[in-house]
Amino acid sequence: MSDQIDILSGLEPASELYGIRRERPDFVQGTEICREAVLRPHAGFGITHSMRTALAARMARMVGLGELASTYEALLEDEGNALLAAIAAGDDLPSTADRFTIALVRHADLVTKSPRDCTRADIERLEEAGLTNPQIIALSELIAFVNFEARVIAGLKVLEEIA
Amino acid sequence: MSTQRFKVKALSWAPYIEPVSVETASEEQLAAMQVTPSNTKVSPYVRTLAHDPESYVARTKLFNAIMYAKGGLDRAERELGALVASAVNRCVYCASVHARRYIELSGRSDVVEAIYLKGLDGPFEPRVQAIVDFCRSLSETPSRVTKDQAQALLDQGMSKAEIVDLIHAAAIFGWANRLMHTLGHSTPVETK
Repeated sequence: MSDQIDILSGLEPASELYGIRRERPDFVQGTEICREAVLRPHAGFGITHSMRTALAARMARMVGLGELASTYEALLEDEGNALLAAIAAGDDLPSTADRFTIALVRHADLVTKSPRDCTRADIERLEEAGLTNPQIIALSELIAFVNFEARVIAGLKVLEEIA
Repeated sequence: MSTQRFKVKALSWAPYIEPVSVETASEEQLAAMQVTPSNTKVSPYVRTLAHDPESYVARTKLFNAIMYAKGGLDRAERELGALVASAVNRCVYCASVHARRYIELSGRSDVVEAIYLKGLDGPFEPRVQAIVDFCRSLSETPSRVTKDQAQALLDQGMSKAEIVDLIHAAAIFGWANRLMHTLGHSTPVETK
């Protein structure tokens, strides 16, 4: 069965690369298990599934994967929520946004765009905004997963285009 | 002429947040921390990530599959992909670990020396150049990786299945670097 990576990389079930992916079931299934663990975890530590999905859409857009962003955006169940919509769309946050959310978004933007510029002060900002240690780790794993997924899709896509 | 080989120093890593303590860890955290091959001493990195055991367990399994799976791309070249990603992301700790593994597996301390001293521009020999260019683009901005860069790998005799392995190796270091470099910093190895 096609998964999100196949669809967004343009791999049809008949394609050679689709078959090659199936020869690495630990990569294919392992990626989906990771997706659950960061986007729909059992223990969310107070960062909701909707917030995680909105952040994923934002990060995918930031690295230039519009279709991946749209896929996450379409999963947002809480459609009337202006704050989540702004996050997912990659917009600036409304002035009413709380500092916890502002900190999540700032960190996702920074670590997606330029992880090399991250310092201790950036983790301290998260702590000052009220994030607990489990929340800091959960956020970091979510950010890193979306960046991983984006790279797998981008790489498979160009390889598939060669034909 | 001296033919002294270029060496990369081993480093330690220290987190910016308080890691989970083995004494006070939950059952789930204890189970998660045992996923590592040698579980007699749990590293600060593992104890830091064990704050979220669910994601830690899932990621560790995927990481091991990508870096150690049998067959497919030569393990040394997976390590080179990891090194290139770590160089782009300036993850000094990851770079040192995977530079050393690459040298162990390939003997190519000359390639590592060039990367450490001159960066990723090269020039390298054609196959190394193709790997560096592809992994560099993917690591910097994934949407900028090109068909030509993938074609260059095929032209160097890499099969599509091997390129799929390379994509995953570079991508999983886009993940690992975003943990290691943001959640802590490298330190010199303590000597007694």
